[in-house]
Amino acid sequence: MPDSILNDSSLMAALGREMTRAVQRQSVAAGNLANAETPGYRAKEVQFAEALAGQLEGQGAVLQPLATHTRHLGGGADGEGVLRDVEGLAARRDGNTVQMEREMLALSRSGTDFASAQTVLAAKFRLVRYAINEGR
Amino acid sequence: MPSLRTAMNASASALDVQRARLEVAVSNLANAESTAGVNGGPYRRREVLLEAVPSEGGGGGFGVRVAAIVEDQSPFQRRFEPSHPQADATGHIELPNVDVPMEMVDMLGAARAYQANLAAIALIRETVQKALEIGRG
Repeated sequence: MPDSILNDSSLMAALGREMTRAVQRQSVAAGNLANAETPGYRAKEVQFAEALAGQLEGQGAVLQPLATHTRHLGGGADGEGVLRDVEGLAARRDGNTVQMEREMLALSRSGTDFASAQTVLAAKFRLVRYAINEGR
Repeated sequence: MPSLRTAMNASASALDVQRARLEVAVSNLANAESTAGVNGGPYRRREVLLEAVPSEGGGGGFGVRVAAIVEDQSPFQRRFEPSHPQADATGHIELPNVDVPMEMVDMLGAARAYQANLAAIALIRETVQKALEIGRG
Protein backbone atom coordinates (compact mmCIF):
# COMPACT_ATOMS: atom_id res chain seq x y z
CA MET A 1 0.00 0.00 0.00
CA PRO A 2 2.24 2.79 -1.16
CA ASP A 3 -0.46 5.45 -0.89
CA SER A 4 -1.78 4.33 2.45
CA ILE A 5 -3.06 7.08 4.66
CA LEU A 6 -1.86 5.01 7.56
CA ASN A 7 1.83 5.59 7.11
CA ASP A 8 3.50 7.66 9.73
CA SER A 9 4.70 10.67 7.81
CA SER A 10 1.42 11.29 6.02
CA LEU A 11 -0.50 11.02 9.25
CA MET A 12 1.82 13.49 10.92
CA ALA A 13 1.63 15.83 7.94
CA ALA A 14 -2.15 15.66 8.09
CA LEU A 15 -2.13 16.47 11.80
CA GLY A 16 0.21 19.36 11.14
CA ARG A 17 -2.14 20.65 8.47
CA GLU A 18 -5.11 20.35 10.78
CA MET A 19 -3.23 22.42 13.34
CA THR A 20 -2.32 25.04 10.75
CA ARG A 21 -5.96 25.32 9.81
CA ALA A 22 -7.04 25.67 13.40
CA VAL A 23 -4.50 28.44 13.88
CA GLN A 24 -5.67 30.24 10.75
CA ARG A 25 -9.29 29.99 11.81
CA GLN A 26 -8.37 31.33 15.20
CA SER A 27 -6.45 34.25 13.72
CA VAL A 28 -9.31 35.18 11.43
CA ALA A 29 -11.82 35.01 14.29
CA ALA A 30 -9.54 37.20 16.42
CA GLY A 31 -9.36 39.69 13.54
CA ASN A 32 -13.13 39.71 13.19
CA LEU A 33 -13.56 40.25 16.89
CA ALA A 34 -11.02 43.06 16.84
CA ASN A 35 -13.09 44.76 14.15
CA ALA A 36 -16.45 44.23 15.84
CA GLU A 37 -16.90 48.02 15.97
CA THR A 38 -15.25 49.04 12.70
CA PRO A 39 -17.80 50.59 10.35
CA GLY A 40 -18.17 48.75 7.04
CA TYR A 41 -16.06 45.76 8.08
CA ARG A 42 -17.35 42.44 6.72
CA ALA A 43 -16.73 39.34 8.82
CA LYS A 44 -14.17 37.04 7.18
CA GLU A 45 -13.86 33.28 7.17
CA VAL A 46 -11.38 30.76 5.86
CA GLN A 47 -12.64 28.44 3.21
CA PHE A 48 -11.29 24.92 3.40
CA ALA A 49 -14.11 22.96 1.78
CA GLU A 50 -13.13 24.12 -1.70
CA ALA A 51 -9.51 23.48 -0.92
CA LEU A 52 -10.41 19.93 0.04
CA ALA A 53 -12.47 19.47 -3.12
CA GLY A 54 -9.50 20.69 -5.15
CA GLN A 55 -7.33 18.20 -3.34
CA LEU A 56 -9.66 15.30 -4.06
CA GLU A 57 -10.10 16.25 -7.67
CA GLY A 58 -8.02 14.32 -10.17
CA GLN A 59 -7.10 11.62 -7.71
CA GLY A 60 -10.12 9.44 -8.33
CA ALA A 61 -10.04 7.69 -5.01
CA VAL A 62 -12.48 8.93 -2.43
CA LEU A 63 -10.54 7.51 0.46
CA GLN A 64 -7.57 9.84 0.11
CA PRO A 65 -8.41 13.12 1.75
CA LEU A 66 -5.06 13.06 3.52
CA ALA A 67 -2.79 13.34 0.47
CA THR A 68 0.70 14.19 1.60
CA HIS A 69 1.56 16.57 -1.21
CA THR A 70 0.82 20.00 0.19
CA ARG A 71 0.41 21.56 -3.25
CA HIS A 72 -2.70 19.50 -3.83
CA LEU A 73 -4.59 22.02 -1.74
CA GLY A 74 -6.38 24.77 -3.60
CA GLY A 75 -5.66 27.57 -1.22
CA GLY A 76 -1.92 27.39 -0.89
CA ALA A 77 0.81 25.44 0.77
CA ASP A 78 0.55 23.77 4.16
CA GLY A 79 -3.21 23.49 4.11
CA GLU A 80 -3.83 27.20 4.19
CA GLY A 81 -7.32 28.18 3.16
CA VAL A 82 -8.74 31.10 1.24
CA LEU A 83 -9.99 34.17 3.05
CA ARG A 84 -13.38 35.50 2.01
CA ASP A 85 -16.31 37.48 3.35
CA VAL A 86 -18.98 35.50 5.18
CA GLU A 87 -22.25 35.63 3.30
CA GLY A 88 -25.73 35.70 4.76
CA LEU A 89 -24.92 37.68 7.89
CA ALA A 90 -27.15 40.60 8.71
CA ALA A 91 -25.31 43.90 8.47
CA ARG A 92 -25.76 46.51 11.15
CA ARG A 93 -26.49 50.11 10.30
CA ASP A 94 -22.80 50.89 9.92
CA GLY A 95 -22.36 48.03 7.45
CA ASN A 96 -20.51 45.81 9.92
CA THR A 97 -21.42 42.10 9.85
CA VAL A 98 -19.43 40.82 12.84
CA GLN A 99 -21.41 38.81 15.39
CA MET A 100 -19.50 38.58 18.61
CA GLU A 101 -20.85 35.22 19.83
CA ARG A 102 -20.17 33.66 16.44
CA GLU A 103 -16.53 34.72 16.64
CA MET A 104 -16.12 33.58 20.24
CA LEU A 105 -17.52 30.21 19.21
CA ALA A 106 -15.10 30.01 16.29
CA LEU A 107 -12.21 30.90 18.62
CA SER A 108 -12.97 28.19 21.14
CA ARG A 109 -13.90 25.62 18.52
CA SER A 110 -10.64 26.05 16.64
CA GLY A 111 -8.83 25.94 19.98
CA THR A 112 -10.41 22.55 20.63
CA ASP A 113 -9.57 21.32 17.13
CA PHE A 114 -5.97 22.32 17.71
CA ALA A 115 -5.91 20.58 21.09
CA SER A 116 -7.23 17.31 19.67
CA ALA A 117 -4.74 17.28 16.80
CA GLN A 118 -1.99 18.10 19.28
CA THR A 119 -3.02 15.25 21.56
CA VAL A 120 -2.86 12.72 18.74
CA LEU A 121 0.46 14.11 17.52
CA ALA A 122 1.93 13.91 21.02
CA ALA A 123 0.81 10.27 21.23
CA LYS A 124 2.51 9.65 17.91
CA PHE A 125 5.73 11.19 19.16
CA ARG A 126 5.51 9.07 22.32
CA LEU A 127 5.45 5.98 20.10
CA VAL A 128 8.52 7.20 18.23
CA ARG A 129 10.33 7.76 21.51
CA TYR A 130 9.26 4.29 22.65
CA ALA A 131 10.83 2.86 19.51
CA ILE A 132 14.02 4.83 19.98
CA ASN A 133 14.35 3.64 23.56
CA GLU A 134 13.91 0.05 22.39
CA GLY A 135 10.68 -0.38 24.23
CA ARG A 136 11.93 0.76 27.60
CA MET B 1 1.31 32.17 6.81
CA PRO B 2 -0.84 32.95 9.77
CA SER B 3 0.46 32.30 13.22
CA LEU B 4 -0.85 32.53 16.72
CA ARG B 5 1.19 35.67 17.07
CA THR B 6 -0.91 37.24 14.29
CA ALA B 7 -4.08 36.32 16.15
CA MET B 8 -2.70 37.67 19.40
CA ASN B 9 -1.66 40.92 17.68
CA ALA B 10 -5.13 41.40 16.21
CA SER B 11 -6.70 41.07 19.65
CA ALA B 12 -4.08 43.31 21.21
CA SER B 13 -4.73 46.02 18.60
CA ALA B 14 -8.40 45.85 19.50
CA LEU B 15 -7.58 46.32 23.20
CA ASP B 16 -5.63 49.44 22.26
CA VAL B 17 -8.46 50.82 20.16
CA GLN B 18 -11.15 50.15 22.74
CA ARG B 19 -9.07 51.83 25.41
CA ALA B 20 -8.80 54.87 23.12
CA ARG B 21 -12.58 54.87 22.70
CA LEU B 22 -13.03 54.72 26.46
CA GLU B 23 -10.61 57.61 26.97
CA VAL B 24 -12.38 59.77 24.41
CA ALA B 25 -15.81 58.99 25.87
CA VAL B 26 -14.54 59.82 29.34
CA SER B 27 -13.08 63.15 28.22
CA ASN B 28 -16.36 63.96 26.46
CA LEU B 29 -18.23 63.25 29.67
CA ALA B 30 -15.77 65.24 31.74
CA ASN B 31 -16.22 68.22 29.44
CA ALA B 32 -19.98 68.00 29.07
CA GLU B 33 -20.26 71.44 30.68
CA SER B 34 -17.01 73.08 29.53
CA THR B 35 -18.05 76.36 27.97
CA ALA B 36 -14.47 77.26 27.07
CA GLY B 37 -12.71 74.65 24.98
CA VAL B 38 -9.22 74.60 23.49
CA ASN B 39 -9.94 76.92 20.56
CA GLY B 40 -12.09 79.56 22.14
CA GLY B 41 -15.63 78.22 21.82
CA PRO B 42 -17.22 75.50 23.93
CA TYR B 43 -15.71 72.02 23.98
CA ARG B 44 -16.56 69.97 20.90
CA ARG B 45 -17.44 66.32 21.31
CA ARG B 46 -14.70 64.02 19.99
CA GLU B 47 -15.22 60.79 18.15
CA VAL B 48 -12.89 57.88 17.33
CA LEU B 49 -12.85 56.56 13.77
CA LEU B 50 -11.79 52.92 13.47
CA GLU B 51 -10.14 51.25 10.54
CA ALA B 52 -9.36 47.61 9.73
CA VAL B 53 -5.74 46.88 8.78
CA PRO B 54 -4.49 43.63 7.23
CA SER B 55 -2.31 41.86 9.77
CA GLU B 56 1.42 41.76 9.12
CA GLY B 57 1.72 38.02 8.66
CA GLY B 58 -0.74 38.16 5.78
CA GLY B 59 -3.65 35.80 5.21
CA GLY B 60 -4.52 35.81 8.85
CA GLY B 61 -7.31 38.30 8.99
CA PHE B 62 -7.32 41.86 10.15
CA GLY B 63 -6.23 43.99 13.04
CA VAL B 64 -7.78 47.32 13.87
CA ARG B 65 -6.44 50.79 14.53
CA VAL B 66 -7.61 54.30 15.26
CA ALA B 67 -7.82 56.04 11.89
CA ALA B 68 -8.47 59.47 13.39
CA ILE B 69 -10.02 61.27 16.31
CA VAL B 70 -12.38 63.85 14.85
CA GLU B 71 -14.49 66.63 16.34
CA ASP B 72 -18.25 66.29 16.07
CA GLN B 73 -19.44 69.29 14.03
CA SER B 74 -23.05 69.15 15.19
CA PRO B 75 -24.38 72.44 16.66
CA PHE B 76 -23.80 73.38 20.29
CA GLN B 77 -26.60 73.26 22.80
CA ARG B 78 -27.96 76.60 24.03
CA ARG B 79 -29.20 77.32 27.49
CA PHE B 80 -30.78 80.44 28.97
CA GLU B 81 -28.50 81.63 31.75
CA PRO B 82 -28.34 85.45 31.86
CA SER B 83 -26.12 85.56 34.95
CA HIS B 84 -23.35 83.55 33.25
CA PRO B 85 -20.27 85.66 32.36
CA GLN B 86 -20.25 84.19 28.84
CA ALA B 87 -23.93 84.83 28.16
CA ASP B 88 -24.70 86.64 24.89
CA ALA B 89 -27.07 89.61 24.39
CA THR B 90 -30.16 87.39 24.66
CA GLY B 91 -28.88 85.79 27.89
CA HIS B 92 -28.01 82.43 26.31
CA ILE B 93 -24.78 80.48 26.68
CA GLU B 94 -23.45 77.84 24.32
CA LEU B 95 -22.75 74.41 25.81
CA PRO B 96 -20.77 71.50 24.34
CA ASN B 97 -22.57 69.18 21.89
CA VAL B 98 -22.04 66.28 24.27
CA ASP B 99 -25.00 63.98 24.83
CA VAL B 100 -24.37 62.29 28.18
CA PRO B 101 -26.52 59.13 27.66
CA MET B 102 -24.88 58.61 24.28
CA GLU B 103 -21.41 58.75 25.84
CA MET B 104 -22.47 56.25 28.50
CA VAL B 105 -23.69 53.83 25.83
CA ASP B 106 -20.46 54.28 23.90
CA MET B 107 -18.45 53.57 27.05
CA LEU B 108 -20.42 50.41 27.73
CA GLY B 109 -19.86 49.26 24.15
CA ALA B 110 -16.13 49.89 24.40
CA ALA B 111 -15.90 48.08 27.74
CA ARG B 112 -17.76 45.04 26.40
CA ALA B 113 -15.60 44.91 23.28
CA TYR B 114 -12.51 45.15 25.50
CA GLN B 115 -13.73 42.18 27.55
CA ALA B 116 -14.50 40.13 24.45
CA ASN B 117 -10.99 40.68 23.12
CA LEU B 118 -9.47 39.80 26.47
CA ALA B 119 -11.42 36.52 26.37
CA ALA B 120 -10.11 35.95 22.84
CA ILE B 121 -6.54 36.44 24.04
CA ALA B 122 -7.12 33.89 26.81
CA LEU B 123 -8.36 31.36 24.24
CA ILE B 124 -5.41 31.98 21.93
CA ARG B 125 -3.03 31.62 24.87
CA GLU B 126 -4.53 28.21 25.59
CA THR B 127 -3.73 27.17 22.04
CA VAL B 128 -0.16 28.42 22.39
CA GLN B 129 0.18 26.44 25.60
CA LYS B 130 -1.11 23.37 23.82
CA ALA B 131 1.39 23.89 21.01
CA LEU B 132 4.26 24.04 23.49
CA GLU B 133 3.15 20.74 24.96
CA ILE B 134 4.05 18.97 21.71
CA GLY B 135 7.68 19.23 22.70
CA ARG B 136 7.06 17.73 26.10
CA GLY B 137 7.48 14.02 26.60
